[in-house]
Amino acid sequence: MPDLDIEEIRKILPQRYPFLMIDRVLELEAGKKIVALKNVSFNEEYFSGHFPEQPIMPGILIIEAMAQASIILFYGSQNSEQNKKLSYYLGSVKVRFLHPVIPGDQLKITIEPLKMLSNAGIVKARAAVGDKEIAVGEISFMAKENTP
Amino acid sequence: MQEIDTEIKDLIAKVIEKEPDEIDPNARFAEDLGVDSMMALEILAAIEKKYKITIPEEKLMQFTTLNETVKIAKEFLDKKDA
Repeated sequence: MPDLDIEEIRKILPQRYPFLMIDRVLELEAGKKIVALKNVSFNEEYFSGHFPEQPIMPGILIIEAMAQASIILFYGSQNSEQNKKLSYYLGSVKVRFLHPVIPGDQLKITIEPLKMLSNAGIVKARAAVGDKEIAVGEISFMAKENTP
Repeated sequence: MQEIDTEIKDLIAKVIEKEPDEIDPNARFAEDLGVDSMMALEILAAIEKKYKITIPEEKLMQFTTLNETVKIAKEFLDKKDA
């Protein structure tokens, strides 16, 4: 089971600060499953406004972390030559949020494909903190070559 | 087989967020109904899930109308039963 560190993740994900939402990959089974971590610290910028009196991680950023984990899973099932110049687009998102995420939490994101094509995918996404399920849903996305 | 036609129409309606009545069997997905490639993929995945079949990626290009989609679904359902 490969465990990708942040350097390896940075080679795959095009996102950068402050929008790189995966810190580590615990498990990656090409085309089948990925388990990834996002550490949530009080230093995250958005906590100053969301919310001043009660810091809660915005749900859309949990979705973003799920989407980025999905990119790594997708990337692993493609041939690397064609991967280099891709941008990723969300198609649709159906996610239910079950509990808030607060500073100090470690989000564990699990993604399993429902349908993976050469240029797109639909995945089942779950996020948990410890044993507690935080969010569950379905995400569809596609990859397109960057226009030069 | 009439039942499958209705089921698939309902399923497509749900994906593209229209009423089933709005979907004419021969309406062109892209031109008439605004179905993009992502929605087509979702339709394919929903059909696979409902009927527990696998439709290969190449067939996605042939998802052009409700009638064509039903035809492809039936083709793979027949293969499954065979």
